[in-house]
Amino acid sequence: MSSKHPSDTTPPGPDSAKGGRTAIRAILAVGGGLTLAVLGSLVLEFGLAPSWLTGQKSVPAASPKGAMADLFTPPPESTIPNDEFGASVRRGMAIFTATGTNAHDFVGNNLSCSNCHLDAGRQAFSAPMWAAYPVYPKYRSKNKMVNTMEDRIKGCFTYSMNAQGSPSGGPPPYGSDVYRDLQSYFYWMSKGLPIGETPDGAGFGKIDKPALPPSRERGAQVFAANCAVCHGKDGLGQTDVNGKTVFPPLWGPHSFNWGAGMHKASSAAAFIQHNMPLSEPGKLSAQEAWDVATFLDSHPRPKDPRQTGAITLQEADKKWHKSSEDFYGETVDGVVLGTGYPKPAPAAN
Amino acid sequence: MSKKNKQDPRLPDETFEPYEEPRLIPLPVYWIAIALAIWGVVTLVQTSNAGHFADKERAALGEKTASVASPAASTAAPDTGAGKALFADNCSSCHGDAGEGVADAIPPLHASDVIKAGGASAISQIVMRGIGGPLIVDKANYDGEMPSFSSVLSDTEIAAIADYVATDLNGMNSTVSPDQVAEIRTASEDMDPWDGGAGLASLINGLPPQPASENASAPSPEATATASLASQGTANIWSCASCHGDKGEGTQTVPRLAGLAPAYLAKQLHDFSKGTRISDSMAYVAKSLSETQITELANYYGAMSSPSGAQPALKGDLARGEQLALSGDYSKNVPACFTCHGTSGIGVGAQFPGLAAQQPAYIAHQLAMWAGGARHNSPLGLMAGIGKALSDEDRRAVADYLASLPPAAGNAKTALAVSPTLKETTNVQ
Ligand code: HEC
Ligand code: HEC
Ligand code: HEC
Ligand code: HEC
Ligand code: HEC
Repeated sequence: MSSKHPSDTTPPGPDSAKGGRTAIRAILAVGGGLTLAVLGSLVLEFGLAPSWLTGQKSVPAASPKGAMADLFTPPPESTIPNDEFGASVRRGMAIFTATGTNAHDFVGNNLSCSNCHLDAGRQAFSAPMWAAYPVYPKYRSKNKMVNTMEDRIKGCFTYSMNAQGSPSGGPPPYGSDVYRDLQSYFYWMSKGLPIGETPDGAGFGKIDKPALPPSRERGAQVFAANCAVCHGKDGLGQTDVNGKTVFPPLWGPHSFNWGAGMHKASSAAAFIQHNMPLSEPGKLSAQEAWDVATFLDSHPRPKDPRQTGAITLQEADKKWHKSSEDFYGETVDGVVLGTGYPKPAPAAN
Repeated sequence: MSKKNKQDPRLPDETFEPYEEPRLIPLPVYWIAIALAIWGVVTLVQTSNAGHFADKERAALGEKTASVASPAASTAAPDTGAGKALFADNCSSCHGDAGEGVADAIPPLHASDVIKAGGASAISQIVMRGIGGPLIVDKANYDGEMPSFSSVLSDTEIAAIADYVATDLNGMNSTVSPDQVAEIRTASEDMDPWDGGAGLASLINGLPPQPASENASAPSPEATATASLASQGTANIWSCASCHGDKGEGTQTVPRLAGLAPAYLAKQLHDFSKGTRISDSMAYVAKSLSETQITELANYYGAMSSPSGAQPALKGDLARGEQLALSGDYSKNVPACFTCHGTSGIGVGAQFPGLAAQQPAYIAHQLAMWAGGARHNSPLGLMAGIGKALSDEDRRAVADYLASLPPAAGNAKTALAVSPTLKETTNVQ
């Protein structure tokens, strides 16, 4: 830093004033430099730098979900504690993502909970578990009673997992460790959310009413163009070389049964618009989602487990399927829908 | 100025006038210079650290780098926790975190009557060669394909895993030493995977009854003709092996072909010749092939089992890569790679190619091509969205992780029919 006056070359006289100035200048220079470096890194850190500078393109939010940033983010797996409780959380997560293996006796189809509740139950608008846990117990008109979380999970086993076709013939009995571990997992992932308030991202989200009445025929075209690659041309899903289900069946003997929420076009349309085709949420218009959901509903699947004993298909249709615009009890392509399969279908294979 | 010189130099300059001072460098210049210097040093430290981080992770992931480079030569002694960690990294993606398997698809390891009968040595034999075909474990039927780990795990690592599975998961008093595993490696050089339960019966005494073998027949004469086309080429057709390697294992940005589904390989060859997938050399190659040759070459590579020719090489963060492959990053709309590409990246059906043991430079390059739009042939544009959502670091991370996996075995069952009507016609369609 050569801020010295030429006359200073000789042994310095009483030039303390000048020395002081040099020191001040040095301090100013270093201080300013540091401040600039700090400011610069802050700008980069908070993504305020223009893209021509960073070379990064700002990724357009392709999701229809609005401000994703406002949604709750469940804690990362690495924060599961390494104690007895943590072990229960891990078991719950394993049941959730590989239900047919880890709750084998109670599963009567080829599905896992995470097939409908994506990202291991964490994905907003695929009925995430963190959004459900804080609002139970709650009254449900489906079974006309106050449901605890255990009751609610039992419902998904009974219908979505088709427990009637499972080795034990039914859902896990009350008090089963299956419920205990699943609830540990849900409780752990909901940490920080207020009890009794439904958070944003709950359920499958809203979907607009279709402009035209949903059509099975248009739905078939939407299916062929957007779904068949993964779920198969026949909708029965795909397995890998080991026989493990990779793309779950949408209907047929190894899918959810006629009592499941997903068979209703309104639920399925909302789920589909927000989650399917996988990795391209929001790709389908509301009309397309309703059409393909209706197409999905117009196929055979295991029978409604409530239709037992003396209850006929017609009575069941009146009692549980009348109000919804579904295909239960109707004849499509010469097949009466709702009769299920002769024997409870064996899971997998 | 002359007056000044007469003065006592030690006295303050009385005639000093500020404007005479040589112009000082303005302070902002210093600020910028210092800020730049700090930035430079920080970036330097960061880039050299990035390599170290990756190295550390690699070490944590079971010294895979060392072992891939020279699978047989790792000498580190196994320690007790190592087996568990290696199991989590190599086996749990298929056999489950606790070895519980997958109902009706992948047999359990935590209480297997096959393991009970064969112990740690049999486990090493199975891990070394892989196993495929009908098999009965604990009275349940399986018919899958487990890849060979010989090209991705060292003797020490295989011994540590076998000990862990035998002792911790099955409560047995059975271990195997790295030296014994080395002998197994030598003895199983170039051997096919164990032929299901029937194959194991020759290895393990007291094995519960096993189903009959479904062994594939010997290669047909056309297959040998195809083999020579692939390795030698003809006057008009370049040899595939000259670029893709003798065993179809690939190198750098030339992909591994061995073990990919024939329908996928054939589709890519058609895409190259139609121009919907762009590569000058492959466009030339694909146009020189007849429809029959395309089918036969696709079947040939699809049925080929060959060791991994890949290893992590891009300094990617392997832990992040594993996360993307197994769980995805839903905040970027990226599902787990394995939701579409199958457990452990072995591929699914005709549309979703295997990624395990694919060349890392090739994977990172393809992801970048999808992001930039240069490759745009994936069904529904699925890979375009995923390629765009991944940052450069993510691409390197996931490519390196996939390169560390054992390659899927070839599968003759998925062969395409060589239709006589298509014989010797060129690519229409
Ligand atoms: C076939 C698809 C499907 C499968 C498989 C499935 N569910 Fe559900 N689940 C649904 C539907 C549909 C709803 C209702 C969501 C709505 O209406 O918003 C639901 C709701 C729930 C709820 C209540 C969510 C809320 O916000 O109130 C819980 C808890 C739940 N499921 C747990 C499970 C568990 C545990 C499993 C596995 C044993 C499972 N589900 C499997 C489709 C499925
Ligand atoms: C890229 C592949 C892919 C495409 C394309 C795709 N899906 Fe899916 N779908 C999946 C996967 C994978 C799951 C299970 C999610 C998971 O486990 O992470 C799933 C789950 C579902 C489910 C709930 C589970 C079940 O079996 O019922 C429904 C309903 C569904 N998809 C409907 C559709 C419809 C309708 C379309 C077309 C608009 C579609 N999907 C397109 C891959 C796909
Ligand atoms: C890509 C999935 C996959 C991976 C990864 C995998 N396996 Fe397997 N494994 C299988 C399949 C599938 C079978 C059954 C093969 C058959 O049906 O012939 C099997 C069978 C076995 C068996 C014999 C049957 C039994 O259950 O006792 C053993 C032992 C075994 N594996 C050990 C391992 C070990 C140890 C590892 C980790 C180094 C491992 N496997 C990694 C898929 C896998
Ligand atoms: C001059 C070198 C060269 C030769 C010779 C060559 N390839 Fe390739 N091949 C490549 C490169 C490079 C790529 C990757 C192209 C890209 O980047 O998209 C490729 C890609 C492929 C792919 C796509 C694989 C995938 O995973 O998507 C197939 C299939 C293929 N080659 C088959 C063949 C066959 C069969 C032959 C012999 C008839 C052959 N190649 C000869 C260089 C070559
Ligand atoms: C939603 C389904 C889906 C997901 C998730 C997915 N892929 Fe793919 N991927 C595909 C499809 C379909 C193809 C085949 C493209 C074609 O046929 O040209 C493919 C092809 C590829 C290829 C080209 C392979 C080759 O041999 O040329 C690479 C590399 C790849 N994917 C990497 C990844 C990685 C890495 C991830 C995870 C970050 C991932 N994919 C996740 C659907 C998916």
